[in-house]
Amino acid sequence: MLRLLSFLLFLATWWIAALLIGDVKLPAPPAVLAVMLREAASGALFINLGATLARVVLSFTLAMALGAAIGYLMGRVKLADRIGDPWLILLLNLPALVVIVLAYIWAGLTEVAAIAAIAVNKLPTAVVTLREGARALDRSLDEMATVFAIPRGRAFRHVILPQLGPYVAAAARSGLSLVWKIVLVAEYLGRPNGVGFEIGVAFQLFDIPLLLAYSLTFAAVVLVIETVLVQPFELRASRWRPRAA
Amino acid sequence: MQLEVDITGKHFESAAGERHDVLAAIKFSLQAGEVGVFVGPSGCGKSTMLKILAGLDHAYQGQVSRPAEARLGMVFQEPRLLPWRSVEDNIRLATPHIDEKRLSELFAVLELTEHRSHFPGELSLGLARRVALARAFAIEPDFLILDEPLASLDDALAAHLREQIATLVESRAMMTLLVTHNLDDAVYLGDRLFLLSARPARILQEVPIPTPRTRRSATEINHIKADLVRRRLAKI
Repeated sequence: MLRLLSFLLFLATWWIAALLIGDVKLPAPPAVLAVMLREAASGALFINLGATLARVVLSFTLAMALGAAIGYLMGRVKLADRIGDPWLILLLNLPALVVIVLAYIWAGLTEVAAIAAIAVNKLPTAVVTLREGARALDRSLDEMATVFAIPRGRAFRHVILPQLGPYVAAAARSGLSLVWKIVLVAEYLGRPNGVGFEIGVAFQLFDIPLLLAYSLTFAAVVLVIETVLVQPFELRASRWRPRAA
Repeated sequence: MQLEVDITGKHFESAAGERHDVLAAIKFSLQAGEVGVFVGPSGCGKSTMLKILAGLDHAYQGQVSRPAEARLGMVFQEPRLLPWRSVEDNIRLATPHIDEKRLSELFAVLELTEHRSHFPGELSLGLARRVALARAFAIEPDFLILDEPLASLDDALAAHLREQIATLVESRAMMTLLVTHNLDDAVYLGDRLFLLSARPARILQEVPIPTPRTRRSATEINHIKADLVRRRLAKI
């Protein structure tokens, strides 16, 4: 109910602002909706959204898997931490644009280059979060597992992983929001489809209804995925923790 | 089955490179069916010694020989339960193949039946200790280590849990090592007492108690305690 109210408030603000500023710079909601419907009818909206989502899924999965493995290793093994740390600091502070442009120069304007560039941007935050998680592991529970001769695989699954759960959830949450932002830049700069590409086209043609149509649809998709997938996962990963009142 | 321990030294090095000797001379043996009790001042190195005996610490001088086939059960000072698993699942983690009958019996002895599906966060310290005891006994250990299992419980609760431990220890012929700073517990549960010095710990004296555990009267327990105090061996 509150969510609906907040959405209506947004719509009203937009509409009033459109009336004040004028159609050229800020088209009113019906104009944008018309473009959305037109793009949807031609199928272009779905093709572009699909392309963007596929890139998000691939680069996100790649970065999470690699990042979690590297972060866990760095948190558990001192030598790995010493070797990896300078690279981590470098990657954390490297602007996304630099990575994307370099990837396109070195690997061509290809899908592989785009996905790798997005993944590299997200990787260090996953590493940092999981490293913290691995450092925070309760050693006394490790000792318990050793004393009771619990096999390594079982211990990893039942003793270690549940402790890492909240960190994985945090890395996923911050990582996903990062990927949502960067994927459009990568598309804008070097892909022939996707929401980012369409926004680039709209920018060059100064087609603001088209720009808003794609941006808002994209935002809506992000919102749905966050509420349907990410938030329930976060809740599940930390379900045994005492709830804050 | 027998445990042979001859630790001649153990030290830590602080970050500043200073050497801290924790253990000096710990030599004893323990037979199946016997309860050895270590009594010593707090901070004297008992926990370090237990870590070595449990195979968690290998950096020491001397020798510990424990039969390779001996199953180890341990009750840590803090219960060390997994907060994300229920009481029953905590026990099943250590013993996946425990049969339902044995588990129910164990729960009955320790009065845990109604807490089976509770999570550790919902339990008091006394209850959590009992779950840790159940976990250690569930694996049917040959060698049982109890690290201050009655510490920080109120007197009535401690006495009750002590009886439960006595019942369980009686039910199985294993080598049992109990660490405590409480003379009552030591004399009530032990067959042989090892009195430890302050850090670095050495065994000052070994005190056997000839009467079997189950036949000790309150008078005798008091007598042994008084004797220990009189000999000024128990500076605890």
